[in-house]
Amino acid sequence: MVLQIDKPPAHDQSKQIHPAVTEKLTDPAWAWAAYQPDAQRPWTLAQAGHLYQRAAFGANWDQLQQALSDGPQRTLDKLLRPQADIAAFNRTYDEYDTGSADSLRAWWLRRMILTPHPLLEKMTLFWHSHFATNSANVKNARLMQQQVQFLRSHALNSYRAMLKGISRDPAMLIWLGAEANRKARPNENFARPLMETFTLGPGNFTEKDVQEAARSFTGWFVLRSQLRYIPREHDGNLKQILGQKGNFTGDDVIRIVLEQRATAQTLVHKLYRWLICETEGPDAELIAPLAKSFAKDYDILKLAEKMLRSNLFFSPVAYHRRIKSPVEFALGIVKPLEGVISTTQLAQDLADLGQNLYYPPTVKGWTGGRHWINSATMVRRHNLALALLKGSGPYGDKLNPWTVAKKHGCSTPESTPRFLIDLFLQGDIEPDVRDALPKIAKASAGADGGDLAEPVRRFAHAIVTLPEFQLA
Amino acid sequence: MSKRLGLIVALTLVVFAAQNTMAAQSLPPANQWIPQNAVISLELTRPKALLELLSGEKATAAITALPLYQKQASTPKFKEFLNLINFMEITLGTDWRTGLAKLTGGGITFAVCPEDTVLMIIDAEDEDMLQKFHEILLNMARSEAEKQEQPNRVESTQYEDVTAWTFNGKEAHAIIGKRLVFANRPEGLKAVLQLRARAASENLTSKAAYQAARRAAGPDSVATVFADLLILKNIPDIAALLEQSSGNPLAALTLAGIVEAVRDSSWLALGLDCGESKLIFRASVDGKTTASTSPVAFAIPNKSGEGILPNLSVPRRIAALSLYRDLHSFYAAKDDLFPERTSGLIFFENMMGIFFSGRDLTNEVLIETKPEIRLVVAEQEYDPAIGTPQVKFPAFALIFRLRHPEQFNEVAEEAWQKAVGLINFTRGQQAMPGLIIDRPFQGKTKYTVAYFSTSGIEDKTNLDPRFNVRPALAMPGEYLVLSSTDGLAQDLIDALHQETEQTPKPLAGTHSLVELEGGRLSSILEANRKTLIQGNMVDKGSTQEQAEANIDLFISLAKFLDRAKLSVGVQEGLTRAQLEIKLNLQ
Repeated sequence: MVLQIDKPPAHDQSKQIHPAVTEKLTDPAWAWAAYQPDAQRPWTLAQAGHLYQRAAFGANWDQLQQALSDGPQRTLDKLLRPQADIAAFNRTYDEYDTGSADSLRAWWLRRMILTPHPLLEKMTLFWHSHFATNSANVKNARLMQQQVQFLRSHALNSYRAMLKGISRDPAMLIWLGAEANRKARPNENFARPLMETFTLGPGNFTEKDVQEAARSFTGWFVLRSQLRYIPREHDGNLKQILGQKGNFTGDDVIRIVLEQRATAQTLVHKLYRWLICETEGPDAELIAPLAKSFAKDYDILKLAEKMLRSNLFFSPVAYHRRIKSPVEFALGIVKPLEGVISTTQLAQDLADLGQNLYYPPTVKGWTGGRHWINSATMVRRHNLALALLKGSGPYGDKLNPWTVAKKHGCSTPESTPRFLIDLFLQGDIEPDVRDALPKIAKASAGADGGDLAEPVRRFAHAIVTLPEFQLA
Repeated sequence: MSKRLGLIVALTLVVFAAQNTMAAQSLPPANQWIPQNAVISLELTRPKALLELLSGEKATAAITALPLYQKQASTPKFKEFLNLINFMEITLGTDWRTGLAKLTGGGITFAVCPEDTVLMIIDAEDEDMLQKFHEILLNMARSEAEKQEQPNRVESTQYEDVTAWTFNGKEAHAIIGKRLVFANRPEGLKAVLQLRARAASENLTSKAAYQAARRAAGPDSVATVFADLLILKNIPDIAALLEQSSGNPLAALTLAGIVEAVRDSSWLALGLDCGESKLIFRASVDGKTTASTSPVAFAIPNKSGEGILPNLSVPRRIAALSLYRDLHSFYAAKDDLFPERTSGLIFFENMMGIFFSGRDLTNEVLIETKPEIRLVVAEQEYDPAIGTPQVKFPAFALIFRLRHPEQFNEVAEEAWQKAVGLINFTRGQQAMPGLIIDRPFQGKTKYTVAYFSTSGIEDKTNLDPRFNVRPALAMPGEYLVLSSTDGLAQDLIDALHQETEQTPKPLAGTHSLVELEGGRLSSILEANRKTLIQGNMVDKGSTQEQAEANIDLFISLAKFLDRAKLSVGVQEGLTRAQLEIKLNLQ
C-alpha cells in the first residue's frame, strides 16, 4: 500500500512578509505590542506550532487544535500561567532519589516530556546553559540536582535573586574552581564569568573590575560540599568596581553589575536569541525598551511574556529562525506522538548529538545555532529518529504514529500523511518536498493488505529528518 | 486471532503444559511423532504433579493473597478472564482444575524444529472433553473470523484419516484420538502426520544424542528437556555469548568449567522433579571432563573428595557463592586464557605491585590462597546514630582461605591500608571527605574498618550512597575476609569461627555453588522500592502506575521464593548442575 497525500497543505503565511508589516518590524512600539491576528497576519496552525516550539517542547494534536481555537493570547495565558496542579507535579519530580548525574539527566528529560508547565522547563534549560556547570568537575550529583532545582525555582522569577543564589551555589563554585577565595590571593574564577557571561558581557568591564570583584568575593569557600563564609579571609578594604567605590562584598558586586545598562541589554539579547531569533541579532534600538524595563526589576516572566506575546514573535523575523537543539529535536518527535519513552537511553543519545544535560561543554554553555548541525550530527539525528520511530529496540513500541493518526480520525492512506505533516510541521512544507514524501514512504502493507503501521513509521521518519523539522 | 481467542489458546497450552500418564492406548509415545531434526524438546510426562504444586490450595491461597493480585482482580480485563473461565467450566461441566487435568493428563510434548517450526502434542485423559473443548475454540474462532469479515480464515482439510484445522490460516492442528497435535505452521503438522503414518521411520527417539540425554535426565522426572547443542551453538548470539565469557577475566574465573563444558558438548539434558513446595532441576551436558593440563583446570577439583566448602551462613543473608578456583593457576595461565588482554593485565599487575610492595602477584601473592573462594551478600542493618542512606545497597564480602596466614596476614593488612590511603589521597585532592581507619575487635579477632564520618551531618536519615560502604578487612584463623561493611565482617568472623570448630566436609566434585534467599531479596527490594520504581520509569518509559506494577510483581515473585540453590560439578564424567527451588507458599 502506498501512502498518498490527499491535498496540498494550506499555503504557509508565516514566511510571507506583508509589505505593510515589513516597515513596522523595526518599530519597537509595534514590534513589542501584543499580536492580534488579522487578515494580513492570521492565526494559523503554523503559528500555533511555532509558539509551542519556542515556549514548550512541541505540541500534540489536541494542544494544537485547542490553540487554534483559543487564539494566541489565550494560548499564551495557558503556557505562561497554567492552571494545572504544578505544585503537585513538581513535588513528585523533586523527590527524586539522587543517584548519579546520569540518572538525573534521564529524570529531567522525563520531566520535560510530562510537565504541565513546559515553559518553566524550557527556561530551566536556558538557564542551565547560561549558568553552565559541568557535573564531571563537580563530582557530586546531589549538588547538581540542587543547582538545577534552584534554577527551576527562579527560571521565571527574579534574575536578581537567581544571580545572588548562583554566586553562592557550591556546584557552580566547584565547577569554576572558585571553591576557595582567600584575601591573600583573590580567586577570579567566579568574578570573571560573572561579568563576562552572566551579566555585562565582553567589553563592558575592565581587568581591574574583575580583580576588585574577586576581592569582594573573598571569604567564600566550599568545604566538604558546603558553602562556608570565613570572615577572616574576607578582604574588607576599599575597592573600586565599575566606577563605584566602597568596602564591597559579593552581594554588592551583584548589585553593581545589575545596575549597569549593559547587563539588562546582554540578558535581553540572549533571551531574544532563545525565544525569537538566533540568526540575526536585534538592533539596539529594537530591544532598548525591553532592556530598560527589565533593568527595573529583572523580572524574567515579564520579559519572556513580552517577547512571546509580541508581533515580532509571530512574524517571519522569528518563524523558523532557530535550529532545534538535540533536546528540542527529540522531544519534538516524542511530544506529538503522545508517548513516554526510555529517557535513560534518550539522555545518552542526546549526549552523542552534542547536548549532554548536566554536562555543558564550557562555562559559556552550548553555543547552539548552526553548531548543532554538521554532517556527523545530521546522521545521528537521522539514526535517533529511526530508533525512536521503528517500534522496537531500546525505545520499544512507545511511539506509534499510526496509532496517533487513527486516534485523531485519520486512518486512511490518504489522510494519514496529511495528518502527520500537520502534526510535525503544521503543514509548512515546500510543495516539491511534499510530493516526494510519499515516494520515500512507499512501502507494501502487511499480507492482509491493511496494516499501515510500518509505512506510517517510515513516513513519519521521512518527515522528521527533513531540513524543515530541524528548525524551530 | 482475537485477544480473547489468543487467551484461550494460551490457556489451553498452559493447561496442556502440565501432565502425562498413559496416552491413548493405541497411540505411540508422543516423542515418536517428533521429527529427528528437533533442536529442543520438552516432555512433560507427569503434568498433574506440577498442576498440584502450582494450582493447589496453598499456591492459590498465596497468589490470591498478593496485593498485586487483588489489584488486578478488580480490573475489567481480569473480570473478562474470569467470565471466560466460568463459561469454560459450565460448557465442559467441570471445575477448571479438573478440566485442566483431564485435558492434559496424558502429557505434553513440545518441540522446536528448524525453520522456526514449533510443535506441541498434548495427550488428554478424556477424549470427549477434548472434543468439546475443541468445539468451543472452533466456534469462537468462527465467530471472530466473521466479525472481521474473513469467514474463510477458519477451515479444515483431510489428510489421510485425519481432519486438520486452522483457525487463522497460519497455525495448524488436529485431534487424533485423545491427542491434540498443534503446529505453528502447516508444514509442522504435516511432518507429524507423516511420522504417524510411517511408524518405523526415524524420529527424535532414534537420535543417539536424544537417547543419551534422556538417560542422563533420569527415568522418573516430571519433565525432561533435550537440547541439540551442536545446532544451538551455531546461533550467532549463543556463539558470541560463549566467546565473550572467555575474553573477560572475571567471567572466565566465575564461569570456568561451565562454559568450557557447554562449548565441548553435543547435547544438554534437563530433568525436573517436584515435591511439596519444591522444584528440582537437574542439568547435564556430555562435554569432556577438563584435563589437568587444560588452562581451565584451575576450576576443577582433581583429587578425590576435593570440592567447594559449603556457603557461610550469616544473619540477613541474601545470597552466597562458593567457588573452587585456584587463583594461582588461573593467573599463571593468563597468557593462554587472555592473549589479547596482555597490556591491561600488566597494568593490573603493576598496580598490585604497589599494594603488595613489589611482590610477584602470581608466585608471592595468589599462591598464598587456597582454591576456596566464597562470596556472601547480606542486607545491611543501619545504626540510626550513624545514619541511614537514601539508597540501601546490600553488603558483600569475599572470603579467601590462606595457606600461610601467619606470614601473609601483615602483607594483606599493609596492602589494604595502602588502598584506603590511596582512596583518601585521591578524594582529598578533590576536597571530598576521606575514610577514617579504626581497628576494633570482634570477639578475639582484631579487624580493620574504614568509614566515612557522619558527625556534622544534620539529617542522618537521608545520607549519600557512599555511606553504604564501611570497608573492612578481617583475618580470623586461616581466612581472609574483605567486606564492604564492618557489620558483615563481624558476622563472618563469628561464622568462620563456628565453621572452624565444626570442620565441614567439602562438597566433593562440586566446583560452584550459589544460594539465594527469597525473603531477604524481597526485603531489600522493598527497602529500595521507590528508587527501583523511579529507575523503571526512566529506563523503560513506564508510567508511575506501570512501574509500580512491574516492581511489585518482581517483589512478589521474590516473596514466592523461599530459597534457591544451584550447584555445578563433575560427576561420572559428565558436567552436572542441580537447581533446587523451594517455594514460599505460606
